[in-house]
Amino acid sequence: MPLPRSIAVVSPRYPDGVTVGGAETLLRRLAERLAARGLDVTFLATCARNHFTWANECPADVRRIHNVEVRRFPVNTDRDPALFLARQSAICRGETLTRAEQAEWLRHSVNSDTLLEHLRAESVRYERILAGPYLFGLVWSVASAFPDRTILTPCLHDEAFARQELIGEMLRSVRGCLFNTEPERELAIRLHGPEAGRGVVVGMGIEPFEADARAFAARRGLTAPYVFYCGRREAGKGTPLLTDYLDVFRARTGRDIALVCAGSGPLDAKPFVHDAGFLSETEKREALAGAVAFVHPSTLESLGIVLLESFTAGVPALVHAAGAVLRWQCARSGGGLWFRHYPDFEAELELLLERPDLRHAMGERARAFVRREYSWDAVERRLFGALEEL
Amino acid sequence: MNNDIGIEIAADGVDVEAIVERIRKSVDEKIAAGLYADARIAAAERTNLAQLRNDEQFAGFYLQCLRDAVYVDISDFEIRERRAVLAPFLVRLKKAIWSLLKFYTYRLWSQQNQVNGLLVTGLESVDEKYAEKIRALEARIAELEKRLGGPPPAAPAG
Repeated sequence: MPLPRSIAVVSPRYPDGVTVGGAETLLRRLAERLAARGLDVTFLATCARNHFTWANECPADVRRIHNVEVRRFPVNTDRDPALFLARQSAICRGETLTRAEQAEWLRHSVNSDTLLEHLRAESVRYERILAGPYLFGLVWSVASAFPDRTILTPCLHDEAFARQELIGEMLRSVRGCLFNTEPERELAIRLHGPEAGRGVVVGMGIEPFEADARAFAARRGLTAPYVFYCGRREAGKGTPLLTDYLDVFRARTGRDIALVCAGSGPLDAKPFVHDAGFLSETEKREALAGAVAFVHPSTLESLGIVLLESFTAGVPALVHAAGAVLRWQCARSGGGLWFRHYPDFEAELELLLERPDLRHAMGERARAFVRREYSWDAVERRLFGALEEL
Repeated sequence: MNNDIGIEIAADGVDVEAIVERIRKSVDEKIAAGLYADARIAAAERTNLAQLRNDEQFAGFYLQCLRDAVYVDISDFEIRERRAVLAPFLVRLKKAIWSLLKFYTYRLWSQQNQVNGLLVTGLESVDEKYAEKIRALEARIAELEKRLGGPPPAAPAG
C-alpha cells in the first residue's frame, strides 16, 4: 500500500513546552518526522493545557511549527465534569459499568465537536488519522467516527480504564495500532483479543547526546551522590514510594544519597529530596548523566521516554518489577535492574553504589541498545513500514 | 553488604536477568532469616501495596512486615541531645520528664499494642480463610476440567 500523502494527528493537548505528557510528546515527534519526509501533516488538538480541568486556555488558532500545521479547537463546554468523575471513580473502584455508562464517561471526558467537524469537512484531505492516547473521549470520538482511516497510538496501560468494553471495541475497529513496545501490544491482546493487537511496534526516536556529568551537581550545590526521577510526581507514578524507600535506605544503610526530582506535582519535603522543578533539555541531560541511577517506580508506562534518555546518558536504571514495559526495556537492554519491594530496592541500589564498574558496564550496554533500537532511523523504518502496512 | 552476591562482569557486558535472580535469592533468604524485619520497611511498603495487590507472594511479605511492626517497644530509644551546650543537663531533664510521664504513656502503649495485635490476628485469619477457599476452588475446577477432558482455551477479557 502506498504511503498516505496527508495525515491528521489528533491528541487532546499539543505539547508546547508548558504542557507535559509522554503520549502527546510522542505524537508531536512522530508528526514532525512525517512532515520532514514531505507528508502533509496537521496536528489537531484542543485549547486545553490542564488535564484535570480541560479549561480552554490557549487560543483556537492555526500555527506552523516545525513544518507541521498545528490547529487548536475549543473543548466542548457542555461536558459534565461531575458525571465524568462519578463514572471514572466507579471504574477505579472496579465496578462494572454498562455500555451507556461507559459512553457517558467518554462523552463527558475531553471532547471537541469543532475538531470533529473539521475532520468531517476535510475528509478528502486526510487519508489517515493518527490518534492517541486511548483513554480520552476525543480519541474515542474520532476513532468511532472514522474507524477506517484511524490508526491509534494507544499508549495502553494495565489499568481499569483499559478494560472497558468500549475501549476494546475501539481497538478492534480501527485500521490498526502503533504500539510503543511489545508488552503494550501483548496487553492489548490479553485484554481485548487478537484483533486488538493488529498493528506495529514503533516507539519514538531518542536523540543521542553527550552531557557533562558534574555540571548539574556543581550548579545546584549537590555534594552527595544522587538518584534521579523525572516526570509527573503523583501516586500513580510511584513517587511517594520512591521518597519512602530512599528515606528508609538512608536510615538503614547510613549512606548519604539524595533524590533529585524533576517535573511537576507535589513532593514530600524531606531534607534529602532536591526538587529540581522543570528542567531545560540541557539541564535534564546533565542531571541524568551525573546520577548514580535513574529510578522509575511507575507501573503504568507504555514506552518510558526518560528511561531511554537515561540509557542514552549511559546511566543504569532501577524500575519496579510490576511495570511490564520498563522491566522489558531493562531486561532486553541490559541497562537496568528491577525490584519487587524494598528489600530488593535496597540490595540493588547498594550494589550500584558499591560497583561503579557495574554501573559503567550497564550504562554502556544501555547506550548501545538505544542507538540500535531507538535511533530515529530505526524508528522511521518501523513508522513508514507501519503506514504502508496499515 | 552485597559482597555475598558476587557479581562479575563478562567480556560482553552484564547479564541483568542473572543479577536480579541472584539478588532475589539472596534477599529472600535474608527475609526468611528476619534481616528485613524492620518497622520502617513496613511503613515504606504502604505505597507499594496497590502495585503488588495481585501477587499472593507479597501478601505474605506484608503480613510478615505487619507482624514485625505490630508490637511497638516504647523504651527502644536512647534519650539524646543534639545541642552541645548544656547537653548533659538537658538529657537528665528529658529523662526526668520521661519517667514522670511513663505511667500514663505505658497505659496508652499497652492498649495500642493490644489493638495492633488483634488487627494482625484478624488479618491473618482472613488471609488464611481465603487462601484455603481459593485452594479448594482451584482443586474443584481442576477436577471438573479433568472430567471434561482438559482446560478450555483462554478467552480474551472484555
